[in-house]
Amino acid sequence: MIGAASRRDAPDMSLTGPDAGSTLRAALEAAREDLRQEIARGDGGRAALQAHATRVDELLQQLYVEAGVPDRPVAIIALGGYGRRHLSLHSDIDLLVLFGGRIGPSEERFLRSFLHPLWDLGVVVGHQVRELDEFADLETDNPEFLLALLDARLVAGAAALFDRLQAMFHQPTTHAYILRSLLELVEERHARFNDTLYQLEPDVKEAPGALRDVMAARTIAMLTDPVLLRRGPADPGRFEDAEDLLLRVRSVLHLESGRNHNVLSHELQEHTAAVLGYAGAEPRQRVERLMSDYFRHARTVGRTLEWVRRAAPVPVGPNLGLSRDGIRFLDPVRAAAAPASWIGAFQAALEANTEVTDEALSCIQQHAERYRPDDFTPEPRDRAALLRLFRPRPGLYARLSQMHDCGLLGRIFPEFDAVAWRVVRDFYHKYTVDEHTLLTIRNLERLVQTDAPERQRFKAVAASLPSLELLVLALLLHDVGKWRDDEHAPESVRMAAEALDRLQVPPEARETVLFLIRHHLQMSMVAFRRDTEDPEVVREFARLLGTEDRLKLLCLMTLADIEAVSPETLTPWKEELIWRLYVDTYNHLTQRYGDELIGRNAAGLGELLTWRPHDLSEAEIIGFVEGLPQRYLQLFSRDAIYRHVRLARDIGPDEVHLSLEQTDGVWTLAVVTLDKPFLFSNICGVLSSFGMNILRGQALTNSNGLVLDVFQFIDDERFLAMNPDAHGQVLHVLQDVVSGHADVTTRLRGRERSVLQWRGAPRVAPVVRADNTASGRYTILDIVAGNALGLLYRISRVISQHGCDVDLVLISTEGEKAIDVFHITKAGIKLDEAEQRALTSDLQGTLEGTL
Amino acid sequence: MKLIKSIVRPNKVDEVKDALARLNIAGMTVTEVRGHGKQKGHTAIYRGKEYNVSLLPKMEVEVVVADALADEAIKAIVDAARTGEIGDGRVFVFPVLESYRIRTGEREV
Repeated sequence: MIGAASRRDAPDMSLTGPDAGSTLRAALEAAREDLRQEIARGDGGRAALQAHATRVDELLQQLYVEAGVPDRPVAIIALGGYGRRHLSLHSDIDLLVLFGGRIGPSEERFLRSFLHPLWDLGVVVGHQVRELDEFADLETDNPEFLLALLDARLVAGAAALFDRLQAMFHQPTTHAYILRSLLELVEERHARFNDTLYQLEPDVKEAPGALRDVMAARTIAMLTDPVLLRRGPADPGRFEDAEDLLLRVRSVLHLESGRNHNVLSHELQEHTAAVLGYAGAEPRQRVERLMSDYFRHARTVGRTLEWVRRAAPVPVGPNLGLSRDGIRFLDPVRAAAAPASWIGAFQAALEANTEVTDEALSCIQQHAERYRPDDFTPEPRDRAALLRLFRPRPGLYARLSQMHDCGLLGRIFPEFDAVAWRVVRDFYHKYTVDEHTLLTIRNLERLVQTDAPERQRFKAVAASLPSLELLVLALLLHDVGKWRDDEHAPESVRMAAEALDRLQVPPEARETVLFLIRHHLQMSMVAFRRDTEDPEVVREFARLLGTEDRLKLLCLMTLADIEAVSPETLTPWKEELIWRLYVDTYNHLTQRYGDELIGRNAAGLGELLTWRPHDLSEAEIIGFVEGLPQRYLQLFSRDAIYRHVRLARDIGPDEVHLSLEQTDGVWTLAVVTLDKPFLFSNICGVLSSFGMNILRGQALTNSNGLVLDVFQFIDDERFLAMNPDAHGQVLHVLQDVVSGHADVTTRLRGRERSVLQWRGAPRVAPVVRADNTASGRYTILDIVAGNALGLLYRISRVISQHGCDVDLVLISTEGEKAIDVFHITKAGIKLDEAEQRALTSDLQGTLEGTL
Repeated sequence: MKLIKSIVRPNKVDEVKDALARLNIAGMTVTEVRGHGKQKGHTAIYRGKEYNVSLLPKMEVEVVVADALADEAIKAIVDAARTGEIGDGRVFVFPVLESYRIRTGEREV
């Protein structure tokens, strides 16, 4: 019987006609008698049970016809063993009576007419009465019922209704849930038998190696990989034989005990051996032969189940399974019609560190041509998934190569297809353009996990970037223009722009990718062919790049690109030249770049004015950006700048204007004010008090003394996510603290231990270095310390306590290491040597925990 | 014959090559080398960490020229590779006793 009770109370009794009853009884009795005789002949196996199930089907069909037609469509559905047509003599008849709509009086009448005669006949019916709608949600309280539904078979009634049930029931999530439950049930059941099939009195249904294990092996295969059993340790024929023997034994047990009894006890063994025709002079010998036959078959079942459990693909996504040879489509037919699911196969393979199976690849290969690029990424989440796929990690090159080989990569990116097998003859390239491209990605993938000591410096550069997906995208498209014979970079840019538009890559990311493609040869050109000891060369290169992130990306791109030309191309000598250019440019960008301020003729300003929204005037924009460091225009998108301008609108003394937004899990806080003592440190303190992990911070001041601080942080403790009013609360506290109405130290008291009283040996020895030479306007403070909650607050509070103004801060983290570069002044000018010494010594003490 | 071996800045190799080509000197060997002369290298600081840049990347250009051409070639190299700063490099001149063409085994005079 399935489930402890049916969903509905039994309707009132009302008898159908006695004649009908006696006819049915006779028919059932005749069927049972036939089965008894078969069993007695030792033939109560699969064939006999199937025949019996068919007889019972007929009986139910007759009952169905006689029960009259209810208002709603109804289907009589066999479940479990009866669904499989393995109906033993005293097995329960498990039924689902399914209605296509609400159960009303007419349906209740039907139920009475259908079920009561069955009860009168003394048939043990395990029945569920359900409305179709109840199957809309996955029911997790009764895994046995879901398992039985897997064997659902229409006996009588509306076929369309049955089909709708099947469609609703057979969902990937349901299958995954059933599989998990089944594996748990098998373990529990085996544990009850001490995990051994060698029982002296085995239960031929429940014991390890018995009938439930046969069903479990079949079900696991059916849910994961239908051909699994054919590849199992035992010949499929032997598995079938084993089942047949178990069924024949069970039939004898039912016949002998006169009930649903499945234990092959000592008393019944002798009789069973005799019925099944085991030879031997003595009963003991016949019993031994029966039992050794039983164990032999049970072992086949046990081994098969064990193998299936190990080899079955684990569902890892919609229609995706992980099996021993990789990721496969559980249902290749469905997969062929769902191109948007294909990228998921490669993602799953990367996550499981395996391949996509040949079978899945050939499915893709066969059908890829039918689809247009957009078909693979129709929804925003598909496009996001494609970008996620590009995260450099072990296996990325291998998976992209598989995608390329089966034609998928070229269908998603027809641009890339243009350079498939493309040969460009020059003195140095050793591979076709497509392979060169994929090798650049392999080089990046290797770099991020390399242990080679000489590569650690570049690996650290990669680790300091928030994400490398865009770099991989840029690498993938950097040479697509090589289908033409002339200069390829501009053509690559043109083609990449089309690809990026198709994928609806956000504007900033799009710009970054196109920038990298446009200038992908620039860094090697400068490093190898320009005098990099000339500060003007570095300055020009830094100006081209604009931000540290772009420098880092281009540096990694250059390295990966050169290394993919041929195994000999990237020499340690060239690496050194690239590294030196990187360091010089990095230092220029972080230390000297604050010197260059936005003037009226600044590059990029014209564009900012041209595209301005209606509500902003040219004067308002110029008034805001004038005097901000030049990097501001490169660091922020036009839209972000417009938002800042609006934020600064009508600001008065003592006022603070704030905005807080989130994109992709990263929060951006922009603060505009006119008053600045302790501003930076106060904001750091407030963010720390809410447990926020600050990723980046920019403190910028324009010519009018307007301060713009922009922070990016992650809500590690999910404060903003979990509390509906948190957003407002953070803004409110910031407003109070920054405007001086509240004290940040009070706020931090709750976190004193972690933030204020931070002690203990830091894992990274702190380094504080002040430099007055790098920049014309600022004293540069280079601080390296172990990253910790509140670190920025501690540093900036000390700086403020020394009466210094924070004019620009570059925050970055490399694993556990925080690297912060503060551009500071005191009363508008650089610090003198005594002031520097006092400040660095206080900072050193604070960071070492001695102050 | 003279073997002229010059150590030049990496970014000057193309100019040296072009200058020699103008003298119809085409065969040359270019090698990536590292070293230092008077220009002792310097200390760079990257993200708070000092690192020493003691061996500087240079290019070595080797050509073999007829005695009559040697002075002209040396002048061409020096002119092309000069910036006037420390680190411009050196030119070494060696006499060549014999030379053989491997493909034919023929001795060149």
